[in-house]
Formats: sequence, C-alpha cells, structure tokens
Amino acid sequence: MRQSDNSPMFNPVLTRFMHLDNSHTLNVYRSVGGYAALEKVLKTKTPGDVIEEIKASNLRGRGGAGFPTGIKWEFVPKDPLKPKYLISNADESEPGTFKDRLILNKAPHMMLEGMIIASYAIDCHQAFIYIREEFYQEYKTLENMVKEVYHANLLGHNILASNYQLDVVIHRGAGAYICGEETALLDSLEGRRGWPRFRPPYPAIEGYLKCPTVVQNVETLACLPEIMNRGADWFKSIGPEKGPGPKLFCLSGHINNPGVYEAPMGIPLTELIYNYGEGIRNKRKLKAVLPGGVSSVVLTADEVEGLNMDFDSLAAKRTILGSAGIIVMDDTVDMVNACLNIARFFAHESCGQCTPCREGTVWLVKILTRLIHKEGRRRDIDLLLDITENIGGLSDLSKGSFGKTICPFGEAVAWPVRSFVEKFEEEFFACISDNKTIYKAAVIS
Amino acid sequence: MAYIKIDNQAFEVDAGTSVLEAAESHGIKIPHYCYHPALDAVGSCRMCLVEIEGIPKLQASCNTPIREVPHDCRINGKYDMVVHTRSDIVKKERENILEFLLLNHPLDCPVCDQAGECLLQDYSFRYGRAHSRFEEDKRVQPNEYLGSMIVINHNRCIMCTRCIRFTRQISGTHELFVDKRGYNSKIAILEDYPLDNLLAGNVADICPLGALLDRDYIHKNRIWNLTTQSSLCTECSIGCNINIYYQGNQIFRVSPRENLKVNGYFICDIGRYGFHKYEDVERITSPLVKKNGKFSEISWEGAFKEIFDNFAKGKEKYLIAGIASPFHTNETNFMFGKLMNQILKGRTVVGILPPIEVEEDISYASGFRISRDRSPNRQGVVDFCLDLEVNILEVVRDKKIKLMVMLDDGVERRIEDSWIEIFRNLHFMVVQAYALTPLAQLAHLVLPGPAPFEREGTLTNDQGRVQWLRPSLPLKGKTRPDWEILMEVMNTVGKRELRYSGVSDVIRKMGDEFPAYTGMSFFHLGDYGLPKNGQIKDE
Repeated sequence: MRQSDNSPMFNPVLTRFMHLDNSHTLNVYRSVGGYAALEKVLKTKTPGDVIEEIKASNLRGRGGAGFPTGIKWEFVPKDPLKPKYLISNADESEPGTFKDRLILNKAPHMMLEGMIIASYAIDCHQAFIYIREEFYQEYKTLENMVKEVYHANLLGHNILASNYQLDVVIHRGAGAYICGEETALLDSLEGRRGWPRFRPPYPAIEGYLKCPTVVQNVETLACLPEIMNRGADWFKSIGPEKGPGPKLFCLSGHINNPGVYEAPMGIPLTELIYNYGEGIRNKRKLKAVLPGGVSSVVLTADEVEGLNMDFDSLAAKRTILGSAGIIVMDDTVDMVNACLNIARFFAHESCGQCTPCREGTVWLVKILTRLIHKEGRRRDIDLLLDITENIGGLSDLSKGSFGKTICPFGEAVAWPVRSFVEKFEEEFFACISDNKTIYKAAVIS
Repeated sequence: MAYIKIDNQAFEVDAGTSVLEAAESHGIKIPHYCYHPALDAVGSCRMCLVEIEGIPKLQASCNTPIREVPHDCRINGKYDMVVHTRSDIVKKERENILEFLLLNHPLDCPVCDQAGECLLQDYSFRYGRAHSRFEEDKRVQPNEYLGSMIVINHNRCIMCTRCIRFTRQISGTHELFVDKRGYNSKIAILEDYPLDNLLAGNVADICPLGALLDRDYIHKNRIWNLTTQSSLCTECSIGCNINIYYQGNQIFRVSPRENLKVNGYFICDIGRYGFHKYEDVERITSPLVKKNGKFSEISWEGAFKEIFDNFAKGKEKYLIAGIASPFHTNETNFMFGKLMNQILKGRTVVGILPPIEVEEDISYASGFRISRDRSPNRQGVVDFCLDLEVNILEVVRDKKIKLMVMLDDGVERRIEDSWIEIFRNLHFMVVQAYALTPLAQLAHLVLPGPAPFEREGTLTNDQGRVQWLRPSLPLKGKTRPDWEILMEVMNTVGKRELRYSGVSDVIRKMGDEFPAYTGMSFFHLGDYGLPKNGQIKDE
C-alpha cells in the first residue's frame, strides 16, 4: 500500500496522516484533529443539519452504486417506534479493490467518526461493522479501536457529554462476495444465508430486522468528518460538482507502481496510469482497463484517452466507476483467458438463489474453457452474448438495466464478459476450431 | 382499490395484491415455479417475469405488489398499472429462463414420476424453445433420502425452495435448508434431524418437478393411467379435502385438494398413506349368519328374515341396543337414528362406543391441525342419533339387554376384554361391517357394507361443515350401501314401504327432518362443502 506522489494542487484528505507511525491509534488520530468534527456536530448541529450538509456536499457512495448519501439518509422514516440501524460495509470483495482495507488498517478512526456522525444524523443508536472474514488482521485492529473508543467516551452513553448514545458491534462475514451486496449483508447479519432480498422494500425503509437501515461503504463514511469540518462547499469544489470529493483509486495489474492513490474525483485516467502508476511495466503497451473492479465494462486503450474518473463521465462511456478498482492490462494479456478468469470468479460467488445467475455463470465458464482450449464453435460467440444478455441485460446502460436477476450480480457478470467479447472479438474468433469434436469442459468445484 | 390493466382485461384489485395473484384470479395464467399461494413469495425462479409499463426492467409478478398511484402518474389517465404478459420481450424471456432451467436438468421424463403432471414439461411445451444450446457436461449428484418417505433427486431440482419454505412456514419444523452455494447448491437436512414430521408428504406434492419423490408412490404408475376422484379424508374429524387417484380396483395415491375453509392446501401423512390399511383387509362380500359358532353365507332375504324373527314375532317387549358409528356417513347415521328412534320407538337405547382418539390435537405453525378425534363424523352421529347414551355397554349390561344392532367402526376399532363378556351375553347381535373385525366376529348376523373408499354420502366435520364424500372404488360382491341396508331393515321390522331412489333422496329427507341440514344436496355441497345452517364455528 503506497501513498501517492501528488500533484501540488491537491492536498490529501483521506490519506493525509497515514504515513505516521501508529496512524490507526486514537492518540495519533486525535493529534491530527480527529473527532473535532464529531464534537462540533454533537454540540452545535441537529441531525437535520447534518443531513442537509451531506446533501449539499453531493457526496456519492463509494461502494459501487454511487447513490447520493444525503438523499439515502433522507429516506429513513422518522418513525419513533422502530429503531434505526447503521451498517458500515467492510465486506470489500470486488477484485481489484483494496481501498477500504487501507482505511481499516491505517485510519479506522476516520471511518468510525463518520459512523458516529451518520448514526447521529439518522437517529440510530446501534451500529454494525460488517467485515469480511478474510480480513482477520483488520478485524483485530477494529476490535482494539472500538475498545479504545469506548474508553475515551466516544462510544456508549453520553458521548462527549452530549445526550447521544451509540453502540457498535463488529460482525465478521464468512467468505462470500455476495454478502457485500447490501440486502444479502442484512440477511447475513441476521444469521441467515446471504441471499439478496427483493427490493422494494428498500433497506432505508425496511432493512435489518425490518427496521430502517442505512448501509454505507467504509470510504464513504471516512469522508464524513472532513465534510463536517471544512464544509459542503469545500467538498463540492474538489472534482466535478455532481460527484465530487477526494477519492481513493486502486491501481493494479500490469503497472509499475500499483497501490492505493488519493486523487480528486474527475482525475484523467491517463494521469492515474502514467503519472501515479508510472506507466505500464516492462515498457509494454496498454491494451485494456477495467475501471470499476471486475464488475464493469472493459475499456480499450483508445477509450482510455481523455477519460475522467468520475461517476458521470464513466457512465457516459457506458461503464461505471463502481469501487474504483482499476485493473490495467497490457498487450501480453490473452483476453479470452482473462474473461474466463472473471467468469470463474462470478460462477464461484453466485449465491444460487435465482435461475439465470446460478445456471448461466457456470455455462459461461464451460464455454470459455472450451474456447481457451481452442475447441470453440462459431456459434459460441453468439451464445456468449446471448447468455450474458439473458442474465444481466444489455450493456447499453443509457437504456436502463435489463437484468433478469434479483440483485445486481446479474449485471455484474454480464458487463465484463459481454464487453470482453464485443470489444476483443478477434481474439475470441481465433479460438474457434473447425474440429467437430468438443472438448468436455471440466466441472468446476 | 387500484384499477389496473393486464393484457386486455381491466379490473379493480385491492392494493397490495401481487400482480400474479391479480392475474390468476381473472383467469390470466402466468407461468411460475417458486410461487405457491400458501407460501411467501420469493421471486427466485424468474419464470413469472412480466412487462410493466413505466419500468424498464422486467418484474417478477409474484413479488410485485400493486399500488395506487397519484392521479397525475396514472397511465392513460386511468390505470394505476398496466401489465403485459404476452408481449414479445416477455415471451423471449420465458424461453431464456426455461433454457437456463433445463441446462442441468436430466432428460429423465421416461423414468420420472412427475411426467404428465410436470410444470417443466408443460411450460417447455408452451413457452420454451424446441431444443437446447447447451453442449457441455451436466452436473450430476446422487439421490438422497431426506426422510423416511421422501427421496430427493438433486439433478432434477431447480432450487425453487418451495420445500424449504414449507418446512419453515407451514410445518414450522425447519428440517430443510440449502447447502453450499451457487451451482453446487442442494437441498439438505442435518444428519440427525430428517424430514419426518406428519406433514412431510406434502413436500413431494408441492415440488413442481420430480425432484422430491414420495417413496410410497415412486415408480408405481403414471398419472395418465389414473382416474382422479375428489373426496374427503376419513382419518380424523377435520375432514381434509383430497384427491384420490385410482386405476381399476386399486388406489395408488392420495393428495391434497384445496379448501381454504378446511385444510388449506395440505393433508397430513396419516390421511395420505391411510388408504393402504384397507388394501389387504379380508372383505365380507355376502351376508353371514352364525350357526353353531361358525359363519355361513346367507342371502339378503334370509338375512332380513333373521332380523325380523329376532326383533318382531313376539319379541316386541324386548329392548334393543343400537350402536351408531362416527365412522359412517350422515345418511347412514340418519337412517340408523330413524330405525332406532322412529321405527323401533320406545324399545331402544342408542349410543356409540368410546371414541377413538389421541391425547390432543397436533397443530402446526401455519394453523394446520390434526384432530385428536380420529373418527370423521362424530358430529353427524350427535346430530342424527338423538339422546345418545354415554356408556352404552354399561347400560346393556345393567339392563340386561339382549338384542343389538351395530354399525361397525371398522379396522380402527380395538375392543377391550371387558366388552367381550357383554357381547357374548347377547341373544342376537346384528353388525353392519365391511370386514370380519373383532366386533363383527362376535355377531350373530353380519351384513356386508362398503368400505370407506366405496361409500358415498356426507360427513360433518368438527367445525360443523358438511362435505361430500365420494366413492372411488366399486362395491364388492353382494355389498349394498349402508343406508340401503338400514332402509330394508326398517321395511322388514317396521313393515314399511320406504323407497329411497338413492343417497340424494336420503339427503333430502334428512333436510326435511333436521333443520340444520335443510336445503343441502350434493350439487350445493360441491367441492367445498357448506356450513350447517347457522351452526358453523370460526367461519
């Protein structure tokens, strides 16, 4: 995990103190001004004020969906009879994404301060951190952090001598990508199988135990303290107004300097790859980029030119920013093999609840396996396109999404696989053999 | 109330109804697997996807509630929702979902029990492609037992989870769950907690395919060989509605029939497998008279003459004990009551043997109940045979009664040793039975009646609902319907000329004499029965 070598115009916000020793401890966090925002909020702002500020800042969720945070909080009904819940989604499982892990390791207090501010805003007194099981070290760090914080009267009753009370529980997952999806997360938190739920009703209305619940990504929560400290206008001034703020970008793949980089939203992708990432390794040429982790539409090298990394610019190019897990591929990559790798991931992680995803993802794997063994048939290409359309709908997002599945997993499978086939056709066609015998694809376990 | 349009029909529905329910209630069929009216909707099979105007993504109609929208959002100014179930995009979608479902489904139709009543077959034929594009290896897993009576064929399962939801919501016993994830998901049980509750057989019914199979019926027959008869279960006083599947003289299986006022959509295993106990019973097919301790056959005229000789002909002062039976129909008990209380008026004491019951009702999470009273028609006996003696056998012994007419309870009845003495002291005991039960063996004259699946009539359940019991097997040998036998007895003993043309005639007469049953007829009872006039509990 390396820090960025920033351009002088941008001062780091989220990573500003991560270079300090023990940056994860309460003392260090306090020494750089930590929990000042919380004190300001509890002493001088009402919950309504906080929601207005966050709305005004145009903060959008950093978990993948990019939903405006302030508006999500507004959906929470003010019903006094039902308790409200806030959940920090630390089930970071999108391949190519490792920014939340950085925060959990180096600055968990940022997230926690954000959690307390958010809980205060929605009148929540019980919050959860849902952390993926594989993050054992991070879980230990969080455990210690929560102990520290209770000790310092930043959690529990009468936080900082205000009347506000909040308790936090850390809940570990059990190794499923699908539990990062908010409704599957809720089911898992309730002790059941992580099967996504039908929406509506939305979690903000009926979530955990049928009570209003707000699920936020770790990075989104980490942005909150500084917004309350420096104001919505400051936040809006960083990057494009409709989706602003400092952002953690994850660079991985065939790049000289992989790592997490903090940059303003809207930074050109080429700047990330060639300045921050110091270009393609071994002096090779760029071939393709997956901008939003593996669940996004792939971009060819041409499409990368002039593209800014923010929600709307990428949506205009018919892909998504998602979790900003940028995977860079150079010209040594066999796109069919890469596609198979992606399809295998999704087949393994499919929860199995609905038919198209459960059956379709494995079908894709079997066809792609035949293709990489050069035993493809001509109709396989059309079949791949048809199957992805049947699971996740068209990749033309401007027409809305036409997925046939209960949760967005269907779209997540369809976008990469389909875009690989569409944009790198020749490589797929090269796998077709005229040989009549079929190689039997191995059964995946 | 919301005003909606589905295809070319416009109508009003309550807000909150799902699109699927609204469509089905107006005769518009939308294919589905995972939806079941008794269970919560999950929308996981994706077969019921429909096009709703204003929403770009196809919606699962089982899980989409209908809502009223503000006036300016209405479609064409009038509709809260407009649904298309037959547009091109929906048709294409159904083909695709079926293709996915058939991907790993084995081509088992020739050996699968569900063939002929399989939704996968039906929908493939109606909505699917003619061929599959899948050319890879299918997933193969071995069959497993989920309980003593239920087998699962994992390869055929499409994970609609109806069976799991059943064990959660209906039986509340939670035996089934999904094991593993994604492609390798399968329905499973914990080793020491198999699917062995009394509602287990229902999971094989609700499974839309041949994945869950009932060991009782497996590989025994084909649905197209079987004739279906709607009728009632006679194993307890609930009177669950059933369908009996038979071929020739043999019943092959029993499955639930929907009746929301009685049993909902399910039956218990006692009723489901209960028909077996009549299969090997040695039947009486002709009247039998006991001479010198041994039974020999006699004609019906001979039998009635025996009765006349023993009940009349100078014996008019003798008391007669009558034992009715809660295992017989209302018509039979009505005729019995008529015989005892009208024809033989003044000479009779009527009662029933101690009830065959268990300690208490068995209830399940959904409200499904198995009654503690294991006879189907106690209510009918009480209604038609008035002034019932509580301890009829004691009365027989104390008053030294020598004559008795009895409707045999059947193979369920166990007699106590203390009774045998009482019966042996009788001079003449007539028993109407279908088999030589221990009680029938003590008789002097046995009149052959039909077994439960051969009887026709009505039964009144413990909630006061009168329902139509219909026969599925033919009468054997010289047996005659119970009510007809009693009619002839009345004619013989009472020197009458009663002539009822059939059961329906008896019902009419019943209605004339008993106000609670006035106006009833098979036609009116239909498939769902009727409450007794003004006397229903929990309607």
